[in-house]
Amino acid sequence: MSPRLIKTEAVVEGRVEERWTLVEDDATPEYDDANPPAVIGTPTPRVTARTRLDGSARYTSDIKLPAQLEAAVLRSPHANAKLTAIDVEAARAVPGVRCVVTPDDDLPAYGGSALLTAEPGYAGAAVAAVAAESAEAVEVALAALAPQWEELGFIIDMDVAADAQHFIEDPTEYERGDVDAALEGAAHVVEAEYRVPAQLHNSMEPHCAVAEWRGEDLTVWSSTQAIYEGRAELARAFGIPAERVRVICEFMGGGFGSKFGVGPEGVLAAALAKRSRHPVRLVYSRREENLTAGYRSEARGELRLGADADGTLRGIEASVVMGLGSDGWTYPILEPMKAVYKCDNVRGFVLPVAQNLGPTAAFRAPGVMEGTFMLEIALDELADAVGMDPLELRRINYVEDDQQAGRPYSSKNLLDCYDRAAELAGWPDRDGLRSEGRIRRGMGMATQIWWGGGGPPAYAEVRVGRDARPMLEIGMQDLGTGVTTACAMITAERLGVSPQEVLVLAGDTTRAGHGPASGGSMTLASVAPAVRAAAHDSRAQLLDLAADMFEIAASDLTLEDGEIRSVDGTLRRPITDLTGKLGNAWVTGRGSRSPNPDGMSVNTFGCQIAQVAVDTHTGVARVERIVAVHDIGRVVNPMGARSQAMGGILQGIGYALMEERVVDPTTGTVVNAGFEDYKVPTIADLPEVVCEFVDRPDPNLALGIKGLGEPPIIPTAGAIGNALAHALGVRLREAPFTPRRILEALS
Amino acid sequence: MQVRVDINGERHERDVPGELTLASLLRDDLGLTGTKVACGEGTCGSCTVLVDGHAVLSCLTLVAAIDGAEVRTVESDGELLTRLRQAFTANDGFQCGFCTPGQLMSALALLETTPSPSREQIVDAMSGNLCRCGAYEGIVDAVTEAAG
Repeated sequence: MSPRLIKTEAVVEGRVEERWTLVEDDATPEYDDANPPAVIGTPTPRVTARTRLDGSARYTSDIKLPAQLEAAVLRSPHANAKLTAIDVEAARAVPGVRCVVTPDDDLPAYGGSALLTAEPGYAGAAVAAVAAESAEAVEVALAALAPQWEELGFIIDMDVAADAQHFIEDPTEYERGDVDAALEGAAHVVEAEYRVPAQLHNSMEPHCAVAEWRGEDLTVWSSTQAIYEGRAELARAFGIPAERVRVICEFMGGGFGSKFGVGPEGVLAAALAKRSRHPVRLVYSRREENLTAGYRSEARGELRLGADADGTLRGIEASVVMGLGSDGWTYPILEPMKAVYKCDNVRGFVLPVAQNLGPTAAFRAPGVMEGTFMLEIALDELADAVGMDPLELRRINYVEDDQQAGRPYSSKNLLDCYDRAAELAGWPDRDGLRSEGRIRRGMGMATQIWWGGGGPPAYAEVRVGRDARPMLEIGMQDLGTGVTTACAMITAERLGVSPQEVLVLAGDTTRAGHGPASGGSMTLASVAPAVRAAAHDSRAQLLDLAADMFEIAASDLTLEDGEIRSVDGTLRRPITDLTGKLGNAWVTGRGSRSPNPDGMSVNTFGCQIAQVAVDTHTGVARVERIVAVHDIGRVVNPMGARSQAMGGILQGIGYALMEERVVDPTTGTVVNAGFEDYKVPTIADLPEVVCEFVDRPDPNLALGIKGLGEPPIIPTAGAIGNALAHALGVRLREAPFTPRRILEALS
Repeated sequence: MQVRVDINGERHERDVPGELTLASLLRDDLGLTGTKVACGEGTCGSCTVLVDGHAVLSCLTLVAAIDGAEVRTVESDGELLTRLRQAFTANDGFQCGFCTPGQLMSALALLETTPSPSREQIVDAMSGNLCRCGAYEGIVDAVTEAAG
């Protein structure tokens, strides 16, 4: 079991990275029909329930240290401006103020950009910051800064930015086959333009950080999806070794992609703490959250699809403009066009434009959800043109293998998803929903593809001491997804205890076991094999000790229901009879994540069918029912999996019906940066959801697990769009489908 | 200004500035950080606590205005709250948990006045509590189950 360094390929949200990884062999036997898991697969309440429900769970914004200062940021009110004056002395004179920083100060950078700027390029850009003894003093000091501006011209509109060639990075081009010839020879061609809005993450816990220096050592509590990335960011920013930086995120109030690393707020809090020699807490307001902490990019796509008379897809062409504001990357919006359906001729073009708006950030299936919306509605338009049932069109264009990589998928059960979803939704009878009255109903569907295979590096340790309750240490963080509970289940499975008896110690870079960032639907699939290997290692050590104590061969012993048992039934003793002799010592099992097999692509698949009702007088659309069937490999916790699917579906409903950041074109400022005006789904928007998984372990992956975080949000909005067209007989191509857009389409 | 408030059964008498919010008193002065502030402007429901049995937004409530009141937060105890906690656990009525203290307090206020609410009443009472993780189905089921 000696460690080895190997080179592995990791796919994170469509970006392939090669990295060196330290791995150890995993001695754990795989679960199969003869050796099925008992705990895994059983609906299990969250192990964090007690602390999250009695108010004792401590989130980053709850941290309060002795002599801690509060901090806040002065932000540009203008979309593009030059700071011409700022009254630092007035701010410093406010009682209780300990530190005021402006662009003139020598501050560390964040991600290659200055933390503060005198030339803000969007409304919300950070210009100055204050730390003081109270939030009130901070507020007074910010007002005292009284900045003066020279306003400059700005570009908000994506097309204007594209014409001006304001790009964040080089445009993306993709081509396979001969699209022009294919579309020319196609019996049916559809062509249309689709638009999607900027969607704001609005995690309930805003971006925040608390920073404390002790000598040269820095501790930062951060609401983050990536404690190790945060550690690296801080080490770079302050020029200190990563080992002198500790990042803690024990409980986290959501992230949805917007919280990789400690963010500028983490570096700024640490810089203010260093200058003021006090711990500093910096919590974004809801408005800051929606101006500067990221959003899903808006996009406009022109799609052309061609098919033979029998519906066989001949060619797909997509030309996309993606609005990235002041930062971001070309999110994989072409992926659905390239991957979901069998098609030899595909051409795509993406212009990633820069605008005088805040930076984008990954948002749950970034790019892929937008691209799916466009492709899936276009496919329904093609089905209309061909005169074919939309589901049948998708079935006949099913593809078995990964067309881009030219290799098989590790597993793919999409056809089963189609069959089951159609059955659950009553798809064959969907035309029976339609009527000519004021309320019109319809049903539509969409297909989903995503990555989510997980991979190294991930390490875990499982300690078992005298009370026999395993302690799992792992350097990951839990956004609220339930990965902690899933890991407790995997540990409990090996050690013969209940998941509620496992103490999971995570969310701290000083914990044993380095874990991955939580993103790309990869956390559980990455850490689960390491956790199981660690639990298995500690189990093997316990059984060896038991073999000596009870004079029975270790291979004839098992751990079940809190007992050590011999296979022949002669021995049944509480595990504590053994572990009670450990005193204050414990056995420590270690595990690491091995790479996935070469030569295959790991992806998740699924489909959703939406049923909508539209009031044709008011234009209000309501989602009545969503049927979701996804292929995510083995389901570890059916209870948590269903909840995660619900979350994705609800955010997808928000995207389809109500969520849209609105920017005033005359001022370049966001007019709906709060919950009052930016609508997110409430409990009253909850539809009936029928959710099933093809619960079939991936035969090529350790534990058979694939990811789940992103898949459920991907097809929802496209399915709703297709249901609306089915209900109304007119096609809507711009999300969200607000009453205004629906009434316009009907008139 | 001198005020007296009873918080989770403990009496607190203190001189408070007029602008001090109940959320700030709870979180910053008393360390009762179970009450969460997610918007600070009364639009999300995360900071909901009970004041004399009514669900209120603590981020908009001035301490000076509730002299003599009885305040209950997620840190309090009680048979109904215990039942709600059990039901939220069994029905997975939360994910990240940040909005959950507010959800629990809104549910508690509902069940204290309406012991057997209809689904419509539950949705109505809980519609001011946003949950971005989308745990709404579990919340409806949990409140229904706790009502018994």
